[in-house]
Amino acid sequence: MVQLTLPKGSAPKKGKTWPKPQGATNLRQFKIYRYSPDEGGNPRWDTYWVDMDRAGTMILDVLLYIKNNVDPTLAFRRSCREGVCGSCAMNIDGQNTIACTKGFDELPGGVITIAPLPSQPVVKDLIPDLTNFYAQHAYVQPFLKTVTPEPEKEWKQSEEDREELNGLYECILCASCTTSCPSYWWNGDKYLGPAALLQAYRWLIDSRDEATGERLDDLEDPFKLYRCHTIMNCAQVCPKGLNPAKAIAKIKHMMVERVS
Amino acid sequence: MSSGKFTTPAKNARGLGSAKSGTEHYIRQRVSAIALIFLVPWFMFSIINAMGAGMDDAQAWAGQPLNAILLILTAGAAIFHMRLGMQVVIEDYIEKTGTRSALLILNSFACIALFVTVALSVLKLWIGAGA
Repeated sequence: MVQLTLPKGSAPKKGKTWPKPQGATNLRQFKIYRYSPDEGGNPRWDTYWVDMDRAGTMILDVLLYIKNNVDPTLAFRRSCREGVCGSCAMNIDGQNTIACTKGFDELPGGVITIAPLPSQPVVKDLIPDLTNFYAQHAYVQPFLKTVTPEPEKEWKQSEEDREELNGLYECILCASCTTSCPSYWWNGDKYLGPAALLQAYRWLIDSRDEATGERLDDLEDPFKLYRCHTIMNCAQVCPKGLNPAKAIAKIKHMMVERVS
Repeated sequence: MSSGKFTTPAKNARGLGSAKSGTEHYIRQRVSAIALIFLVPWFMFSIINAMGAGMDDAQAWAGQPLNAILLILTAGAAIFHMRLGMQVVIEDYIEKTGTRSALLILNSFACIALFVTVALSVLKLWIGAGA
């Protein structure tokens, strides 16, 4: 649903400014989105000062520094801290990415804002509710589907066919792309979004998969697939350097190929 | 998304299922765009050439069969393309089913009326020129 302004109760207000760490010489200011359903009220922007000499090199290090030294109530997801799990996806300085691989040297000077992924319900602070995102991923049935009886040993694939999956299989489902897509903001209940469609294409072109037609049937829809208007935010933000827009274009190409 | 109902995430994601359509729309939009790549430059060139010309000149120009045909084709391709594009914009931004359907119908009516008006105007010039 198109909402150009945030609904009542969701607009962030000015929050607390936390004390500067003592004795630090290399300070940097961070504005972080805070929301707690237990406390009620609107979300707020809290201001933190971080001693950059002690905070590591990545944005995730900053968040851990704040949690350990300034404010233990700050909530965020994180796990692998090396760009493999996709847990720490958030909006950093206006762009969706994963906090663990985003270094501060990549960001411009001045105050850095950190917010949860846009357009999704917020569970707490930097933690979005990705229930719908995961359900849409399940919709594309991201697993091998065959009608031929399973071979005794293995499904064989040539090296060339395996190479087709490069640039697709690496997706870590962090949801940076999907939640950066305006089409998904407006019609996320029906449009599957770039991440799910990238996975759909990954199985569409898998040389071993025998359900290509059924998969295309499930995608051929003005909203599920064709809400992609090639805005390209997905490719711009992907922290793994993938190009979901290209995968979606290839799905559209397969659709045309099927009718002509 | 849940809005207080006990529906599962899978039910929400599946929705009403795949409409099994959209590809035709996609192809039509691209094909009309290809036609416009050729027609629009011709149209712009003609309009610029006709700067300062009067009604008689226009009538003489549109009286030539090739110009009349290309004019109607340009209007047809442009309005057809516009209708498809407006349809997507309405679907993108209007969520309420009733309003959306009303606007989609209005879009079709407006585009057809526009095309008929342009086509008849060109025909009038053509026939008026004694073709």
